[in-house]
Amino acid sequence: MKVCLLYEDGEHTNEESYYDSASIIKDLGLKTLFLAAAKKLVYENGEVKKAEKEDPYLVETLRSVMMIPLHTKEEIEYRQQILGDCIRHEELIRGLYRIACTVVRKWGELGRGPREKMQQSNPVMKLTADIKVIHLFCDSLSEIRTLLTDQEELSSKGLCAFHDGLLREFSQEREEYIRRVLDDISFYTDGADQEDEGKNQVVRPRIVLEAGLEDGMKFSSLKLEELSSRSTKFYKPGSTRYKFQEFMNSRIPDSFSAVKDARISEQSQILEYGIVSYLTEELKSLMEGFQTFFDRLRYQTAFYLSAVQLLRQMERIGIGWCFPGVCGRRDLEFSDLKEFVMGLERRVDVIGNSCSLKQKDLLIVTGANQGGKSTFLRSVGIAQIMMQCGMMVTAKSYQSGIFPRIFVHFTRREDSEMNSGRLDEELSRMNRIVEQIGDGSLLLLNESFATTTEKEGSVIAYDIIRALKEAGVRILTVTHLLSFARRVREESRDMPEAGVEFLSAERKDDGTRTFRMIRHEPELTSFGLDLYEEIVEKKTQSRS
Amino acid sequence: MGEESKNENFSILSLNGTRSEAEEIAAFYQDLNLRQIIDRLTAKWGKNIRKLYSFLPPTAEDEAYRRAVYGDIKNEEVYRALMSYTEDLEGVAELRAEKDKVSIPLQKAVWQIRETEAYCRCYEELESRLEKCVLSSVGMQAFLEILKEILDSSGYRELRERTEKLMKEIRELRFTLVYDKDRISVVPVETEGSGRYEEMLRKEGGREIRQLQNPFRSNPSLTELEYACLEILEKKKPQLFRELRNIAEHSEDYEKAVLRRFEKEVVFYLSFRSLEQELEKAGFCFSTPETSEDRRMEAKGLYDLALALSSLTSGKEVVPNDLYYEEGERFFVLTGPNQGGKTTFARSLGQLVYFTRMGLDVPAESANIPFFPDIQTHFSVEESVETGRGKLKEELSRLAPMMEDHKKGSFVIINELFTTAASYDAEIMGKKVLKHFIGLGCMGIYVTHLKELAEGQQGVVSLRAMLNDQRIQTFKIRRGAAEDIPCAENVVNKYRLNYEQLKERL
Repeated sequence: MKVCLLYEDGEHTNEESYYDSASIIKDLGLKTLFLAAAKKLVYENGEVKKAEKEDPYLVETLRSVMMIPLHTKEEIEYRQQILGDCIRHEELIRGLYRIACTVVRKWGELGRGPREKMQQSNPVMKLTADIKVIHLFCDSLSEIRTLLTDQEELSSKGLCAFHDGLLREFSQEREEYIRRVLDDISFYTDGADQEDEGKNQVVRPRIVLEAGLEDGMKFSSLKLEELSSRSTKFYKPGSTRYKFQEFMNSRIPDSFSAVKDARISEQSQILEYGIVSYLTEELKSLMEGFQTFFDRLRYQTAFYLSAVQLLRQMERIGIGWCFPGVCGRRDLEFSDLKEFVMGLERRVDVIGNSCSLKQKDLLIVTGANQGGKSTFLRSVGIAQIMMQCGMMVTAKSYQSGIFPRIFVHFTRREDSEMNSGRLDEELSRMNRIVEQIGDGSLLLLNESFATTTEKEGSVIAYDIIRALKEAGVRILTVTHLLSFARRVREESRDMPEAGVEFLSAERKDDGTRTFRMIRHEPELTSFGLDLYEEIVEKKTQSRS
Repeated sequence: MGEESKNENFSILSLNGTRSEAEEIAAFYQDLNLRQIIDRLTAKWGKNIRKLYSFLPPTAEDEAYRRAVYGDIKNEEVYRALMSYTEDLEGVAELRAEKDKVSIPLQKAVWQIRETEAYCRCYEELESRLEKCVLSSVGMQAFLEILKEILDSSGYRELRERTEKLMKEIRELRFTLVYDKDRISVVPVETEGSGRYEEMLRKEGGREIRQLQNPFRSNPSLTELEYACLEILEKKKPQLFRELRNIAEHSEDYEKAVLRRFEKEVVFYLSFRSLEQELEKAGFCFSTPETSEDRRMEAKGLYDLALALSSLTSGKEVVPNDLYYEEGERFFVLTGPNQGGKTTFARSLGQLVYFTRMGLDVPAESANIPFFPDIQTHFSVEESVETGRGKLKEELSRLAPMMEDHKKGSFVIINELFTTAASYDAEIMGKKVLKHFIGLGCMGIYVTHLKELAEGQQGVVSLRAMLNDQRIQTFKIRRGAAEDIPCAENVVNKYRLNYEQLKERL
């Protein structure tokens, strides 16, 4: 049975992730987000009491799912709907995840996977384990079915289909049938246990076979006529009751004892094993559809549980959220978008930005240092990645196109020394991106080509960005390269069809920064002087 | 099954039933890449057929006898009849193997009866299928007559009846085994049970289920538990058990030698037919060669069968060629650039003669081939570490026996002789060799890099491996005067490194 909670039409286990997702995670600071999503918040009287330790499987899964982009509006909405249900029914998603985890763990303990090979040397242990796995599957599926059936008002296509599928593939009748056969072979697993409990009871089988002899007088064309397990009184061998029972049984005509002779006794056990393993194989093949079910369920519910927990983190900090909408690739419109990772790190609400780009291919952000430019760029990057995996985003509203290929090229502070080695490294990274990039890609450039002089960097940036733009790449760039910005500005003046937009970090007349981006032409100064004044000169003043 | 019949000498491979078993596999076998072809056949048909392909039938009459039989085999109905016959025989062999695994007399007897039953059914089925076919070859007609005679004999019919009766009784001997309260009881049943529990599984599970296997099947011999059950049953059916024990003691060989020989030999035709069909499906053609009295020889669309087989997986193109020897022409001398298809052409010519001689179809659109008593090949041994004198010595020592008088009329294939000798010497020796073979009434082909050999000799025709306008190998072989090939271009061509070639590759 397929789970299909991530994609409507299948499990899509071979989808491609973003190119260089390691850089995306590092440059956008997504690790913080993964960790936050993996922690369950514990509430007391409506207040967050504490956060539990993170679940490493959730961290891994969220990383993996988030780094694989969806490709269509329908795919995104499919997940958004399921996530909506999960937010409304948090206990459901927790339950599903818990059951899946339990099965995977217990199945592992019963010798699933590579350990199976070791156990092959002991077929009886292997068979016993197989039977236990069937019990485990049966109990867990039944639990999942109850969990889903108890849930009212599931509105998402995905969860409804999952419920229907389970009712179909594991119906009440199917469960009863499997349990009946398990009951009939229970002598094989229960026999010993009951004896141990000192109940003076022992579970023994009754097996009736019909057979011919055409295969060289060996039992041939066997048919199973009857099979049952029955609890009977246990008498110590050698005791009077035992002897009496034995005597009574020996009066059965045309029969012989299955226990007296050592060889025959051993072969009787082989007979028991043969019948039980025959039925176990039958049940196993009936359950074959669930071989990968629990792994997939664990993986897929892990994603939704992480998303729900992330949402609880948003609520805790007080950051608002919405489900983003999909629009054309040349448009980008949002209001009060917040940089969520920063919010998580500081555990406080952060300043939001709004923006409306229509029919634009290139956004150039310039302006004051420490004015929130990089934060702005990251907030768009994070939101875009969250949107493209079907999650909510930290904004009042967010509309954007879908970019299955997102590339980041950030010059990190520690990289920005000026020397040829740095530029070489930067350009080689750019080269690798160019090999992969194409029409319909999104490129985030953060202070790129700043490892050489402003003049040279501007020329490099101009050439690369122009070529990429012509190739259909959507580019958002934060830059100090003012010559570059001015040049683009001059060329696109009074030409709306050029598809270029300029934003700048707002600076009030008195010099204070609002950390908001406003539409603004690039100037020749990036207000580094302001910063110098604030940090160096103000301190000097206050001291004096 | 009683007395030996007069048909004891019948063979589907030769007219008089002579067994042509030479001591060693002919040298041409390796040189013509026949091994590759036969290996492919043995993968499916077993190693025994290797022997059948290793030796040429002794006379022209044998060749014709085989060709007629193969003509019948190509009849789809005959082919299907024989194919299902070989499958049935496999079933018989499996039962025989079961019999050989056990030593308990009761068990041996049961397997023996089943084996006999299957064997009888196998030949009866073959007879009834062949009866419906139109057989035009002497060989197949004779076989069917012999088969009918055997199946009609009183000895066979007695065996058949006895086997059937016992088999029926064995099949009807069914019983119920009840395993309960740590005892096993056994009761014979009159009518076969339905498997009630399995029916429940089928119904509730909503699908077909596997057959329950005997838990003791890994041991071919009876286990103590099974034996204990049999002891109870023996008390109920003493008559049948007595009879079985009797059979075990007096086991007889029911097989007919003549049929056993047919069984082994007929796969010769079937294996080649299956190969032919596989290749025909892939677009390769085969034809039945004509045999001419006037020693004319020609073929159209000839290709290398071994290459064709490997092309099935590699997808490489196989280039066919036409050829003819005019009256009085005895030897092709083939020259041309390296990697131009010279050796392949020589091989395909050898295969043409070989498959004709074997009485099979040939890998060509059409062919007309005279009778050659033998095929002689001389290929240089590439792995040989010897050079110079040593190599020449080795070559000559292989050449000498080929040139003996009794080999006259052979088809001779010589590939690159005397490569390490001085050109002057090589030319003289080469001409002598050609003259000698022509004098012995041989026909053949001589592949060489010495264009002088192609000139001015009685009975010699010059052939060339052709290049196209860009001087790329076409693998086409045409008549034409030999020309010198410049060395550098040769190497460039070999690695396909000139301008046009590179343009094409890039």
